Amino acid sequence: MTADPNKLTKKLEANVPGILFCLDKRDDATVIHCGSSDAKVYTFDLADEKPTGKPMEGHSSYVTGVALAGKHLVSGCYDCSLIWWDLETGKPTRTIADAHARWIRGVAASPDGSFVASVADDMVCRLWDAESGKMMRALQGHELQTPHHYPSMLYACAISSDGKLVATADRVGHIVVWEADSGRSLATLEAPVMYTWDPTQRRHSIGGIRSVAFSRDNKLVAVGGIGKIGNIDHLGGPSRVEVFDWQAGEQTHEFSNDKLKGLVETLAFGPDDAWLVAGGGDHSGFIQVFDLKEKKPLKEEKAPMHVHDMVLSADGTSLCTVGHGRIVTWELK
Amino acid sequence: MANRRANFCGSDDHRIHRRGFLGAAAVAGAFAANMGVLNVLRHPTLAAELKRQQKHVILLWLAGGPSQLETWDPKPGHDNGGPFRAIETNVPGVHISELLPKMAQRMHTTCLIRSLNTRIADHGGGAALMERGRRDEPTVQYPDLGAIIARELGRADSQVPDYVSMYTSTEGRRKGTSGFLGARYAPMFLDKELMPSNIRRLEQISDLDHQQRGELRQVLGERFARGRGSNSVDSHNGAYKRVRGLMASDKLFDVSLEPQKYRDAYGPTQFGEQVLVARRLIEAGVPFVKVARAWWDSHGQNFETHLELVTELDHVMSTLLDDLQARGLLEHTLVITLGEFGRTPRINPSLGRDHFASAWSASLTGCGIQGGAVWGKTSPDGVSVADGEVGAGELFATIFQALGIDHKKDYYLGSRPIPLTNPGTEPIRDVLA
Repeated sequence: MTADPNKLTKKLEANVPGILFCLDKRDDATVIHCGSSDAKVYTFDLADEKPTGKPMEGHSSYVTGVALAGKHLVSGCYDCSLIWWDLETGKPTRTIADAHARWIRGVAASPDGSFVASVADDMVCRLWDAESGKMMRALQGHELQTPHHYPSMLYACAISSDGKLVATADRVGHIVVWEADSGRSLATLEAPVMYTWDPTQRRHSIGGIRSVAFSRDNKLVAVGGIGKIGNIDHLGGPSRVEVFDWQAGEQTHEFSNDKLKGLVETLAFGPDDAWLVAGGGDHSGFIQVFDLKEKKPLKEEKAPMHVHDMVLSADGTSLCTVGHGRIVTWELK
Repeated sequence: MANRRANFCGSDDHRIHRRGFLGAAAVAGAFAANMGVLNVLRHPTLAAELKRQQKHVILLWLAGGPSQLETWDPKPGHDNGGPFRAIETNVPGVHISELLPKMAQRMHTTCLIRSLNTRIADHGGGAALMERGRRDEPTVQYPDLGAIIARELGRADSQVPDYVSMYTSTEGRRKGTSGFLGARYAPMFLDKELMPSNIRRLEQISDLDHQQRGELRQVLGERFARGRGSNSVDSHNGAYKRVRGLMASDKLFDVSLEPQKYRDAYGPTQFGEQVLVARRLIEAGVPFVKVARAWWDSHGQNFETHLELVTELDHVMSTLLDDLQARGLLEHTLVITLGEFGRTPRINPSLGRDHFASAWSASLTGCGIQGGAVWGKTSPDGVSVADGEVGAGELFATIFQALGIDHKKDYYLGSRPIPLTNPGTEPIRDVLA
């Protein structure tokens, strides 16, 4: 069946305790893996009438990244550790306690499952051999401090569909595309609007690039966050997405939505890269789909929670989202 | 108004120190008018005497309401606790947020009050309460802490301001009020830059001309005041007497005069520079300096906001304490961290915390304070005070007592006695040195 984002419809909604920050699942599977604010990694089977999470314990703070790499599930946490999990027993098989010096913000796996990328507030992206757990490379190209002398944050990373590229994006809107094999920086891009420093009223910032994704042909990089905010006490700014032709170093698309406010926390390209789906929110949540050929919004729906992460199926017909106290699935067909 | 010099006990020992101090102050004043107050402090004897006698307050006003859970009262392991760990301090058994690692190593200097229940959770009302220690009455506007300290610890012949308030962010900006104490104790208010505006002599007027104009004005003013006995006339003349001293104090606000190592230590942020200026002012004899760091109102992204702001607070505050200690000023200077309220233990869907005045924290360091003390306790979920509940009045009474000011002392508004704190209010004696 062909995906049709115009038919975006909510299918399943399940309440869960706590906040689910991250999600991964195998294509077509009903089982999902999530990281939670209660320091646990949960496995839910969405085929159940009332999905109840099976907890896996080993972290000690917010679990902010999970990634399926081959037979492994790897999680990253604000406790600075990475854990490899045995999904059969629910026990850790490997723990790297000091994987990073500061909070781990995200974890991604290469499509072939051979390596895992992690990003953290030490502003380093580390690539790990998924099988041995050995660190392969440390990618350093983001400043530790913002231009206003405050700690910066490296929020997001993505790996290209061929596993050759890694993209990282930070709090001040700096984006780097890396060659995974060599660790070489291939391109740097800037999305400065997403750095929401308020120099006059409140003298701090709350934005940053929170999500990054490669197009399926790996020619484009999309980043998501929030636009200019009048009052940074709240997530009261327009949700914002920018797309770049990273090799040309040019911005190709810009979407700013004043009606759906908040952070774009997660992004995914649809089949053939014809459209791009974004999830996020403020006190509430949203799903937005953008038509990349026409360069205009295609579809938007309110989500019943702030969406922190999502997985779009390979054929683009189903979407699973997790966030503040809920799991929601959607159909796009 | 009450006798403002009730502290002199009449003993020989006190008489000698008082006389010595007044002499030092007079010399300081004479120097200050022409050379700038900092020059006085280069004379070690005078500087030592000034340091020994004077007490000061630096109020780090955390405007907008910082989270007690991400600062002084962490709740690790609870759903309300958020992602930050609690860390040990150098006081056994006392844990604070991991965002304060430098303060954790200086906890022996600092007391925490973890049981404030002040009930007012809107910015304006909360700020008014925590600035003044009590609510205004319909017919009485109370002075804020700075004005009271200026009156109690300031000197009539002072050549420096008694009360300096810095608030450069625009959100929640409040000038402060001297209430019924009148304009004499109103703050020198810096809301745009470090240097006070309109403090320098006009270029068209020579220093001699300025001085002679002042002397002429003084002669005329005193003749006018003779036999009138008016508070407003006295206040007017008093203000003019202080003008030349205040004009000479501009160097105190110039951080470029500070050795680079101290500028580096405080750091490049505006808050760091302002706190460095606060230290310069205190060192020169200013009794009360307020540095407002706005804006902590983290309804959204509380943890990101506190990563920025608490990290800065930890660095700047610990640098200040070290600097005061090294200069022998910490035992005479009370450093307060305070906002208008705390933040809700519950984490909202924007990963924020909202206004909360039912169970929150403040810190006191230095003069008159028992370092390492912790007063009060909140419930495991942080939503209520479990032990030692205190309000704004008790906090203010504690501050006054720490500075050697009788919190029951009366001011007079006409014939009506108005005590510094409401009747029945007691200080938290367990945290006093």
